[in-house]
Amino acid sequence: MNYKDIIEKQMKNYLDTGDTDSLSEYAGRISKGISDNFTLDKILNATVNGESIFDNREIIENIKALFLYEIRSALVIAVEIITVCLFIGLLKNLSSSFGKSGINQIANLICAVVIVGLTLTNFNDIYNLTLDSIKTITYTMEILLPVLISLLIAMGRVTSGTVMSPLLMAVLTGFQSIIKNIVLPLLFASTIFTLLNCLTEKDYVNQLSKFLRKASLFICGLLISIITGIITIQGIIVKSADSLLLDTAKYSLDKFIPIVGGFASDTVELFLRCMGSIKNVVGVFGIITIIILMLCPIIKIMAVAIVYKIIGILTEAIAPPKLSSGINEIGSALIAMAAILFFSSLLFVLFITCIINLGGS
Amino acid sequence: MNSIIIWVRGLFMLILSVTFLEILLPDSSMAKYVKFIFSVIILAGILNILK
Repeated sequence: MNYKDIIEKQMKNYLDTGDTDSLSEYAGRISKGISDNFTLDKILNATVNGESIFDNREIIENIKALFLYEIRSALVIAVEIITVCLFIGLLKNLSSSFGKSGINQIANLICAVVIVGLTLTNFNDIYNLTLDSIKTITYTMEILLPVLISLLIAMGRVTSGTVMSPLLMAVLTGFQSIIKNIVLPLLFASTIFTLLNCLTEKDYVNQLSKFLRKASLFICGLLISIITGIITIQGIIVKSADSLLLDTAKYSLDKFIPIVGGFASDTVELFLRCMGSIKNVVGVFGIITIIILMLCPIIKIMAVAIVYKIIGILTEAIAPPKLSSGINEIGSALIAMAAILFFSSLLFVLFITCIINLGGS
Repeated sequence: MNSIIIWVRGLFMLILSVTFLEILLPDSSMAKYVKFIFSVIILAGILNILK
């Protein structure tokens, strides 16, 4: 019996493959086929046979297609906004023939309100998309963590498993709820105020919107650095505790049982190393799934952000300067949203890396 | 959370209506005082979240 058989058999024993299969199916549906290259079986085969898991050309093609598709669907709103802006420009030039300036101003204001409405609807869609994808990534982690922790305990890292499991679960739930209830709503409020600011002649809420955006980014950054610190330090402590326990067990098995003790100790070590490879395979699967789940919304958000920046450039020539700078600011807000999504999934990737590290091997 | 939504919505409507009213204001010597009062109303609207 060689190590490939052991790994495959133990994989079937220890993993409930239904969970991971439904996970990769779900990821495949969201990413429109990018994640089909990275199912658990494929990664396992590649690990056992020592092959590469990345098929570069196909992945790049898929990502390019996704990006162009998102750009195309974002162009609809671009055309709408630019049309209304053209109308504003026309109104401004015709204003002399209306006589009274108040009517002209009100017409301008109404056009600006239409643009704000279009932009806010679009922004609301993207806000919901971000919320959904953070929920999805958390859900993925909630499926993967028990699997990884049970593999960790099967490797003999008992302290790591029992200490890290509740810690990671608590941090995960807390992080998700803070992002959902504080960070993203703050960003949304900041965007509303930015748009509101381009309607008025005077700056009423300019500083407020800037402050809200900075506050939301600051809270997100602070949260991530605190959580990273806690997880890393806790990881170092439990790792040393476990390696002491494991070395003592191996040594006493080797020395205190006569004749067969050496073989038994070697077998235990082989078994533990195989479990370690399984854990690494599941961990790599988790990392790739989370990255793909993060990548698709980020591509969409960045596409829309680029389109907004382009609208800002184009409307500067015809629309009032405040309006075009407001649209430009929406692009920045979308980039900030993409950054929050990126860093929160980076945190989750860090969790999995920490668990992979705990096992050694 | 709910109070923040109410605050943002209220402030949005307040500033929008104030902007409309400022345009509709007749040109008289009282206009600048009325504008100042509008600013004070918006200030009160921003401070509303603290209550």
